[in-house]
Amino acid sequence: MDWIETIVNGLLLGGLYGLFGLGLALVFGVMRVVNLAHGEFIVLAAYAGTMLAAMAPGVPPLLWVLPVAVAAFGVGYALQALLVNRAVRTGDPLTPLLLTFGLAVVLRNLMVETFGTDPRALDGGQFTRAGIDLFGLRIGLFPLTALAIAAVMFFALQWLLTRTEWGRIVRATSDNFRIVRLMGVEPNRVYNTVMGLALAFTAVAGMLLALRTSFTPYSGVERLLIAFEVVILGGLGSFWGAFAGGMALGVAQLLGQKIDSNAGSLYAHLLFFVVLILRPTGLAGRGR
Amino acid sequence: MKPLGIAALLGYALLVAAAPTQLDAGWLRLGSEILLMLAMAQMWNLLAGYTGLVSFGHQAFIGVGAYLLFYVSDRFEIHPFLLAPAAGAACAVLAALIAPLLFRLRDAYFSVGIWVFAEIVYVLVSKTRELGATSGVALKSVRLVDTETFVRDTFWISTLIALLAVGGVHALMRSRLGLGQMAVRDNELAATSIGIDVWRNRFAAFVISAFGCGLAGATHFMGTMYVSPEAGFDVNWVVAMMFIVIIGGIGTIEGPILGTALYFALREGFTAWAGVSGSWYLVAMGLVAIVVMLVAPRGLWGWVHENRGWQGFPVRRVPPAPATEGADA
Repeated sequence: MDWIETIVNGLLLGGLYGLFGLGLALVFGVMRVVNLAHGEFIVLAAYAGTMLAAMAPGVPPLLWVLPVAVAAFGVGYALQALLVNRAVRTGDPLTPLLLTFGLAVVLRNLMVETFGTDPRALDGGQFTRAGIDLFGLRIGLFPLTALAIAAVMFFALQWLLTRTEWGRIVRATSDNFRIVRLMGVEPNRVYNTVMGLALAFTAVAGMLLALRTSFTPYSGVERLLIAFEVVILGGLGSFWGAFAGGMALGVAQLLGQKIDSNAGSLYAHLLFFVVLILRPTGLAGRGR
Repeated sequence: MKPLGIAALLGYALLVAAAPTQLDAGWLRLGSEILLMLAMAQMWNLLAGYTGLVSFGHQAFIGVGAYLLFYVSDRFEIHPFLLAPAAGAACAVLAALIAPLLFRLRDAYFSVGIWVFAEIVYVLVSKTRELGATSGVALKSVRLVDTETFVRDTFWISTLIALLAVGGVHALMRSRLGLGQMAVRDNELAATSIGIDVWRNRFAAFVISAFGCGLAGATHFMGTMYVSPEAGFDVNWVVAMMFIVIIGGIGTIEGPILGTALYFALREGFTAWAGVSGSWYLVAMGLVAIVVMLVAPRGLWGWVHENRGWQGFPVRRVPPAPATEGADA
């Protein structure tokens, strides 16, 4: 029973991990940009949520997800319009990578100077500590909610991309940004909304992180690595693969922690490495 | 070698020989740090700039090199100076062993794959009690060295490593292997079609860069006489290497030199002279990187080269004259 509980908790944690990777996968899938500042944006959203919650103590912290996500959309839109599009235009995939790398260093160290390096956390009150009994298993209400939110996010993105006009335009732009111009689509504007949406997803992940564990400005690097592992494990550009990848990593980490209390991440890393060696294009990737 | 090159080499040798008589230990330590960073940046650039493999995991070789030197010199009573090249060689072997696995991964997959590899090594080392676990180890074999001249000698070793890194990459780029690497960098498909073995070229660059980082990392921590998993496998090693290479100019030999100068000028300028503590110099460097990427995506030296045509380390080849006259005779 103990083991099953660990696996279930791992799956719940995996939902959050999947969400870490979602924004990264979207940006890479559409414009082939590896956003190295992704981890910093997760942490930035966590700080934003913590600050808002401190200003209005009566409001349930989870409600702040919405304004933070909307703000993140604006930040992402502006970031893409002002900086990243220029770097994408060079045609060298290294340029936007290095640009976001510079951005990551700026953001991380500005956060260090602004918030200090003491660990912070967002206290979700009774809700984050409550649990329910399910078939004799004790399951936290908050991890369950986090997984539900992550699943909704994945569904929403999948629906947006496959069922809406906007999704068709995004997919067409991703396939060939030159041809879509002939149909009257401005690729840069598509990229702007995609980056905005990606950061909105990222902000949700950041808020959930803040409610789950404590964080410092340096937490971004670790989250970026998890996000990368999730995305690559699933196969770059595949959203459902990323969700599955997140689950696999979550389970590996918690099982690892159970066997070997201070090295849970080691087992997640080992799983990642082994899968990648066996299937170099990830779980959902097509064979080469 | 051209007279200018010989003069530059002689100037460097004179400067290096004279430095310990003019500077105190603090300056010599800073000098060692700068020179070793330059060597590491050259090694990262050899891999990223010439073969297109962007590594986020080169801290693995720095840490492994350092730990090897600390452990073996203490265990077998070997003078640490003698072990620095062995640390590099061990990293080269390690790189050769993991290359067949990592080279199955391309682009971002490779970058993250090697980062995860570095994390695995980091966790394993911090769990190993013989290596001091999370608290790290001090250089116990310091009893074998002459403490009077230790800082000076470490500085001289660092100057040698930097010279080897810069000269080595230059010599490599003028060789057949380097020509192949530059061809792979410019167009992989075209390079393959004329018979260049891409895998072998990447392998050579990877092993050499691991050697260089292991050597420089071992020497760096030998100078500080203490290594911990946090410091040895710090991802900030790669952050610094990337910065230097990007700002200076990726895929050039001059770029990392320029980048190293700028990196340390910013760091020392902010912290030592302007007295601005903490992370502000990093913020400034991040901003510099962003601006450079927007204005001159090939880095500062790339910009200089395009606009002024300057060359510090010529690697251009004069193609054999086409057989137009007398070819039919």
